[in-house]
Amino acid sequence: MMAQSVPHQTTDKKRVKVYELRNNDWFDRGTGFCTAGFMQLDDGQTRDPRVYVESEDQPDRLLLETKICREDGFQKQQETLIVWTEPSSGTDMALSFQEAEGCHMIWKFISGIQRTFQGALAGPADDSLSDDLAIDAQTTISLPPADLKSLAEIEGAMRVMSQTANGRDALTKFIMSDDYIGKLIPLVEMAEDLESLPDLHRLCNIMKIAILLNDTAIIEHAVSDDCLLGVVGALEYDPDFPGHKANHRHWLDNQGRYKEVVPIEDEVIRRKIHQTYRLQYLKDVVLARILDDPTFSVLNSLIFFNQVDIVQHLQGNANFLNELFGIFRAVPPDPRKKKDAVLFIQQCCSIAKNLQPPARQTLYNNFIAHGLLQVINFGLRHGDVAVRVGATDILVSMIDHDPHMIRQTLYRQIHDNQPLLTDSLVDLLLVEVDLGVRAQIADSLRILLDHGPQVQAQEAFAKANGEFPARARLAPAAEVHELLLAHFYEHTAKKLFKPLMALEGRTDMNFPVQQASMFPYLIETLSYFIRQHMHRSKFFMLQNNIAQRIVQLLSCPEKYLRLVAVRFFRHLVGLQDDFYINHMAEKQVLGPILQVLIKTMPRDNILSSACLELFEYIKKENVKDLLKYLVQRHREQLVDLSYMETFRDIVFRQEQPQGGTMEYFLENEDEEARRPMQPNSRMMEHIAIDPSEEEYWNTSDDEDGPESKALDGPPTNGAATTTTPQQQKPLVDYPSDEEAEGKSDDAAMPPSSETKLGPDETGETQSVPVTPPPAVGPPPERLSEKRRREEEDDDELEKLMQHKRRNSSSAGSNASITPGNMVRRRRSFAERASPSGAPRKISISISPSLKTGGNARSDEES
Amino acid sequence: MNDLDRAIAQLRACRPIPEAEVRELCHKARELLIEEGNVVTVTAPVTICGDIHGQFHDLMELFRVGGDVPDTNYLFMGDFVDRGFYSLETFLLLLCLKVRYPDRMTLIRGNHESRQITTVYGFYDECMRKYGSANVWRYCCDVFDYLALGAIVLGAANSLGDRPQQENVQDDVEIEVCDHTGSIMSRFQRQLDDEESMTDNNHSHINNTRGHDGSSASPVVTSVTRGARGGGAGDTGERTGPPGSGASGSSGGSIGNPTGAVLCVHGGLSPLIDTVDKIRLLDRKQEVPHEGAMCDLLWSDPDEIDGWGLSPRGAGFLFGADIVKVFNHRNDISLIARAHQLVMEGFKEMFDSSIVTVWSAPNYCYRCGNVAALLELCDEPSGTGLFARSNGDASRSAGVSSNKGVMQEGDAVPRSGPARRYRVFQAAPQDSRGMPAKKPVADYFL
Repeated sequence: MMAQSVPHQTTDKKRVKVYELRNNDWFDRGTGFCTAGFMQLDDGQTRDPRVYVESEDQPDRLLLETKICREDGFQKQQETLIVWTEPSSGTDMALSFQEAEGCHMIWKFISGIQRTFQGALAGPADDSLSDDLAIDAQTTISLPPADLKSLAEIEGAMRVMSQTANGRDALTKFIMSDDYIGKLIPLVEMAEDLESLPDLHRLCNIMKIAILLNDTAIIEHAVSDDCLLGVVGALEYDPDFPGHKANHRHWLDNQGRYKEVVPIEDEVIRRKIHQTYRLQYLKDVVLARILDDPTFSVLNSLIFFNQVDIVQHLQGNANFLNELFGIFRAVPPDPRKKKDAVLFIQQCCSIAKNLQPPARQTLYNNFIAHGLLQVINFGLRHGDVAVRVGATDILVSMIDHDPHMIRQTLYRQIHDNQPLLTDSLVDLLLVEVDLGVRAQIADSLRILLDHGPQVQAQEAFAKANGEFPARARLAPAAEVHELLLAHFYEHTAKKLFKPLMALEGRTDMNFPVQQASMFPYLIETLSYFIRQHMHRSKFFMLQNNIAQRIVQLLSCPEKYLRLVAVRFFRHLVGLQDDFYINHMAEKQVLGPILQVLIKTMPRDNILSSACLELFEYIKKENVKDLLKYLVQRHREQLVDLSYMETFRDIVFRQEQPQGGTMEYFLENEDEEARRPMQPNSRMMEHIAIDPSEEEYWNTSDDEDGPESKALDGPPTNGAATTTTPQQQKPLVDYPSDEEAEGKSDDAAMPPSSETKLGPDETGETQSVPVTPPPAVGPPPERLSEKRRREEEDDDELEKLMQHKRRNSSSAGSNASITPGNMVRRRRSFAERASPSGAPRKISISISPSLKTGGNARSDEES
Repeated sequence: MNDLDRAIAQLRACRPIPEAEVRELCHKARELLIEEGNVVTVTAPVTICGDIHGQFHDLMELFRVGGDVPDTNYLFMGDFVDRGFYSLETFLLLLCLKVRYPDRMTLIRGNHESRQITTVYGFYDECMRKYGSANVWRYCCDVFDYLALGAIVLGAANSLGDRPQQENVQDDVEIEVCDHTGSIMSRFQRQLDDEESMTDNNHSHINNTRGHDGSSASPVVTSVTRGARGGGAGDTGERTGPPGSGASGSSGGSIGNPTGAVLCVHGGLSPLIDTVDKIRLLDRKQEVPHEGAMCDLLWSDPDEIDGWGLSPRGAGFLFGADIVKVFNHRNDISLIARAHQLVMEGFKEMFDSSIVTVWSAPNYCYRCGNVAALLELCDEPSGTGLFARSNGDASRSAGVSSNKGVMQEGDAVPRSGPARRYRVFQAAPQDSRGMPAKKPVADYFL
């Protein structure tokens, strides 16, 4: 056993442990000393590079003697470990060195030998065995020649090699240099002819291993025209699904799947288009189940770069674009081609989503310059759903990219008096049957009419950076937005929400499916607009009495529509906007919702939960106007429901008898809400308390509410806030309404002065006296609008719930309207004069008049 | 019904049904789900399952192991979709079964039943591939919004009504673990201490309601359940068969149902929810929010901490044993069953068996190598336990809140849980699944 120094110095003895893999466990074959060198064979001629380990305990015994040969793929792992597979037995072996240095030296020898093998294989060897060792050491391998007999061997060898990093490198190199895939492909057909399923399964595994080597070159090679069908052919026989054969070749062989709307001249680009399709197929279909993350990302990046090239090519190709968009102007028109062109553009846009924003921007700019919007317009009105889907997809992808781009277009359209894109969208939304298109259109409308704070910020940024001139040709975002909104609420909104407005006067709430399914979209869109467009949407709500229409939906037999309506009002309350809260009180929205709850209540379902949540929210957030409204108008129902904590709390809190101060009420309400509820007896008990106090709370509350805010509020809010005092009045009136109902005239008279500002009169009387200081004055036309609205409301109210009460009390009330109004006004002015102490005094001054009313009510209830 | 049965047959073969049928199905499902409370009341016997994640063939295996619908009463705790290759078939089949057998199928919402999550984790893409448009995805998402958020199982028995030959042991067995063939892998005896202290600690209002309802309502209800189970006993045989039916004589001494209810949610508890009734006050018909009670119920995880902790998931919370203990005590709940987290053994009980994670997707993502489990709760053989807890009772919330002072943590003795049988099973054998059915784009321009 001589170690000779050709071509490399023999290593010293290194202490090492020898392991062998048995049944997936590393079996320790013993500890010894390792040497590596060339051994002279018996004939004295040939020299084999070998590695030996002599046993430590018995120096004569050899723990290991292995020949270094091309196939076994030695590998250095970590600092002290060398692993390989014995080519003779197929056993996995490992040497674990005591010292990193020993490992290093043995490895240096082994890698040197392997380099010479590689040299012999691939050409002139690099004789100077480098010193940087393991890192760039390349194992070289060869696989058995590709024929059916050796498939098992090939598969085994590839599997082993693909488990180590170096093995994978070597395998990759070999496969590519040898065109091994090309050699395997004929075998697929052979095996199919022989109907040899085991061979086909092996071929499938071999292809899988090759592709999962995760090498760009191999993957590109595999999807090339030459190899593709062979490769996917092999992959059709997945041993994981022995009873199954896929039909990948059928899919990929069919050239008819590729459609050219406008011929693509460039050969390279065309090839890339095909390649991309194949890669996607590979990713999504063939390999979907077995893809590991690295291969997945390699496939994705291949696809991505192809797509970038393709889109770049197309958008820069003026001839192509002219021809493409020319299809829509062709005479005579070719409907089939038009359809395909829309779908083509759709695919283009969906690819563009992956591109970098600047590239996308250029693409869209080019498209728009060639008339993309006309194409969208054409597509939206097309009879074929697929085309409508395509057109909306194109639109949505542009909106996703930059909504302002589309807004600018709308702006131009308004100026040029062209039909507006948003109008087309609304038209389509109302008749569209395809749910997807409808949902996307609703989304698009929302985004286009969004307040777009981002855009404004962007612009501010641009201005600050002196980039403004660059965008000067475009209208400023704010201006565009204003104009769009104005136009929308003037023209489009009425059209859009027509189905809602058409409910007026309707008693039969059974709708055909198509119509019924429209309401959720409309109401959700409306909720969105209400959140986004402050005063315009308020005005729209008032003008068209939308709340009342949605209340009508509460009596719909379809539960989900009732639910939509309840959620709409929940959304309104959630805005915490005094305007809407007063509006809801005035429109008496909560009554019908309470009815819905009561009707549903024995059952525990979505509808009752949604109603409960609404009332719980009102209670938790202490929305005073609504609480007061509830207790005053729906006390009996609340008491009936008071087995639930929410309603017990509502009743209890409103009738809180303690002589605490107003501050107590306002500041401790949270604490109060948390206080455990008293048993029912408690509730009965306090009914007897002085009702004047109760009224005291209510009235002063009132004072403290929106009116004072209107004073403090910045003038810009004027439009919203000025309406609130007017809205509020009926609130204060309700209790006396009730009193009047069952009680003697004398009791009812004085309060009715305040209360009985019957809805008819409110508009008239208030238009003059309530006009607030000029700073917060509403635009004149708005007041008149409001009056009109209130007159309308009145009819509705009467129909819905007011009926009896108004009849019984209206006689006495009319006379005293003006005084009551004056009191109120005086009060509010007094408050302005001395905000701190005034409200309490004033409210006390009116409380006696309410006293009897309060008693009356408690009588009714007990 | 004929159409529905045909759709079920087609879906059982893992073939999607046409878009129009999906629309119809979702419409029916909505009508049904809108009537369900946020917390559905389910009566034992019931088989509780965790995440499925589109592993259709493993769902079939689950039905083989647990018994077929409608012979077995199932409760699925969400995450039907995403990750696996057959989210569509999985969800539609479950939904069909729900519509066909509303009383034998309970579906509650998981965090993956959401638009946002499904666009990222596969369900959206799957619908796009299988139908070429997102409409079916939209229909399904619409149904997601209507799914209940939790369930309460009432009337779960204290003992595993067992096969007759094992009568002698059945009364003390609290936990039994079976493999997919039904052979018992391990058993755990109940500790007697628990049982005694538990009886002592019965709250007065429970006793009252039990006495009241037990006499009037339960006989009727039991006979109905018996009848429904009778049909399936023949073919599914003893491994899934009606627990308790053959052994009712042996537990004659049992007094009603001494265990509390079992709460099932996908994720866990929420700091905003201290009583089950609070869950009923949620407006659930919406996309799963990013925060708040509804989000927490679907996202939270139990963890070995004290109190509440931030969740690494970015939604929901972590909650410790103390939280579970107080919650269970306050709500008279003996066990919380939840899913949401992969457990290699299929199920994992925590915090003195006050909460259990059930995971029903074997070899999750086709590569995790885990086994799956389902949890069976039996009914009380005598039938007296069914309405031990009157859930929607009018005075109940008042009773609970007035009792709060008495029922503080100090005297909270862990209730002994209902008897639980876990059936553990593995991924369906390879040859029974088809190829992944991702359909490629038919035509392409680019």
